[in-house]
Amino acid sequence: MIYKVFKKSVVIAVLLVLWLIVPNFVHSMFLPPLGTVLKAGGGLAASGELWMHVCTSLKIAFAGLMISTVIAIPLGIILGWFKTVEDYIDPVFQVVRNTSILAMLPVFLLVLGIGDASKYAIITWATLPPTLINTIQGVKNADPVLIRSAKSMSIGNIGLFAKVIIPSAMPFILAGFRLSAGISLIVLVGAEMLGARYGLGFMIFNYMHAYMIPNMYVGILSLAIIGMIVNSLLVMLENYLTRWREKGVGVGA
Amino acid sequence: MKPEDRIEISIEELSLSYNVRKSKREGGNSTFLALQDINLQVREGEFLSLVGPSGCGKSTLLYVLAGLNKKTSGCVRVCGEEINGPSLHTGIIMQAYALFPWRTIQKNVEFGLEIKRTPKAERAKIAAGLIELVGLSDFAGSYPYELSGGMKQRIAIARALAYDPDVLLMDEPFAAVDEQTKNLLHEELLRIWGKTNKTIIFVTHSIEEAIFLSDRVAVMTPNPGTIKAVIDIDIDRPRAGEVKSSQEFSKYRSRIWQLLQNSAEMTDDVKTETVRHMLETRPQEAII
Ligand SMILES: Nc1ncnc2c1ncn2[C@@H]1O[C@H](COP(=O)(O)OP(=O)(O)O)[C@@H](O)[C@H]1O
Ligand SMILES: [Mg+2]
Repeated sequence: MIYKVFKKSVVIAVLLVLWLIVPNFVHSMFLPPLGTVLKAGGGLAASGELWMHVCTSLKIAFAGLMISTVIAIPLGIILGWFKTVEDYIDPVFQVVRNTSILAMLPVFLLVLGIGDASKYAIITWATLPPTLINTIQGVKNADPVLIRSAKSMSIGNIGLFAKVIIPSAMPFILAGFRLSAGISLIVLVGAEMLGARYGLGFMIFNYMHAYMIPNMYVGILSLAIIGMIVNSLLVMLENYLTRWREKGVGVGA
Repeated sequence: MKPEDRIEISIEELSLSYNVRKSKREGGNSTFLALQDINLQVREGEFLSLVGPSGCGKSTLLYVLAGLNKKTSGCVRVCGEEINGPSLHTGIIMQAYALFPWRTIQKNVEFGLEIKRTPKAERAKIAAGLIELVGLSDFAGSYPYELSGGMKQRIAIARALAYDPDVLLMDEPFAAVDEQTKNLLHEELLRIWGKTNKTIIFVTHSIEEAIFLSDRVAVMTPNPGTIKAVIDIDIDRPRAGEVKSSQEFSKYRSRIWQLLQNSAEMTDDVKTETVRHMLETRPQEAII
């Protein structure tokens, strides 16, 4: 256990220490030492500015993610069950998946303006595919033996979905959701850089323009920390909800 | 069969063909006759085995009784009711255990009761009783992956018993467990059978297993799947393991062996056709 924690954190710790020390000797305008960045972070946190940006970003990312999830899971279940429908829809996914989401950003901004609406929309758009595709896969993967077994006990259609199809798709759905959650933050920052008045993406971009480099790194570091926390929380949720699985048997995203 | 015995299962002139989808190049769709003119009557409380080589239609027949396969023609009744779809008269136990991995053992056994909308407290009580019957009370809170194959199969039996079907259908339930466990499970199954008075149809390709467990053994032969003979096993119960080395036991064994052997003398054409079809539908079994 301790060894595992050590293995996971040692390299990051070394990198942080390097960041703390090296820039003091090799002066660079673009990479201030970690100490300076943390001090700037303290200032931004004390003034409440950092908090405001974080909250704005999280709120939008979360809302967009929720909208896409609410669409993706039911749609994925339907598409996964009616395989012929999926055959027709699949090419559309492929096109969407292989078109850079960031390339679509200007389109959303043009249509919906630089307000929050365009950000909700782009996040929904960007986070829909992973959850949707994984849900479809999960439903398609439902073990036919289990379905037969449930049917032999005279289960109805609704029961079959609620008690067999959805639980067996759950590991896939959760893995897709975690992927979507990661994407939501990435895309949000991109959107905020292009057009926003608040949010971490705006903050990073704004301080870059103002040449307040330590403040810029505060934004980047905050994003990294938020990303890590969100991911570990979701991993924990996943592990809890799929505790019935043999340890070490994973599901690809 | 004594006249006062009630008939629980009655199969008359049952035939079933599968539709086989093929590409145009291979001649388009066709049908495969899996069961032909099956006639069989099973008494209430009887233990009947179906033996036959892989691919002779044992599972197909069992699934018809479970209401999971649609017959092509004939008449099949369980408890006096014509079968057209799954019913709570029958409970099926499959070779692959088919436990729900996301449910605890307790919740697995409760599954059928949930469908039947049995109240929660009663569900829990029935399930606990059956888990005790199969001797796995300590594992009620465990998940299936924590159990061995033999244990899983005992839970599958408990689950099928939970909603109290009249007939238990078992599809090669012990094919995947080791010899020693299998012997224990045989004794256990006979004990449960004695306690619950269920009618059991037991599918196996092991002649010994069939003789040891059954009141009667129906011998099936492939191409198309038919019941070649039904043999009464007049060995006194309770039967202990030693009975397998007795003379009467080996008499039954060679008799059934003979029946299966004769049918193996198929023409080469038929043989090729069977193997080809099996390779297409179930490659993992056709290797044998
Ligand atoms: N769904 C299906 N479609 C087409 N052929 C099938 C199907 N299921 C089984 N068969 C064929 O029917 C025959 C009997 O199968 P089965 O009942 O599973 O045999 P057994 O249980 O005796 O091994 C086999 O030749 C098998 O390939
Ligand atoms: Mg079979």
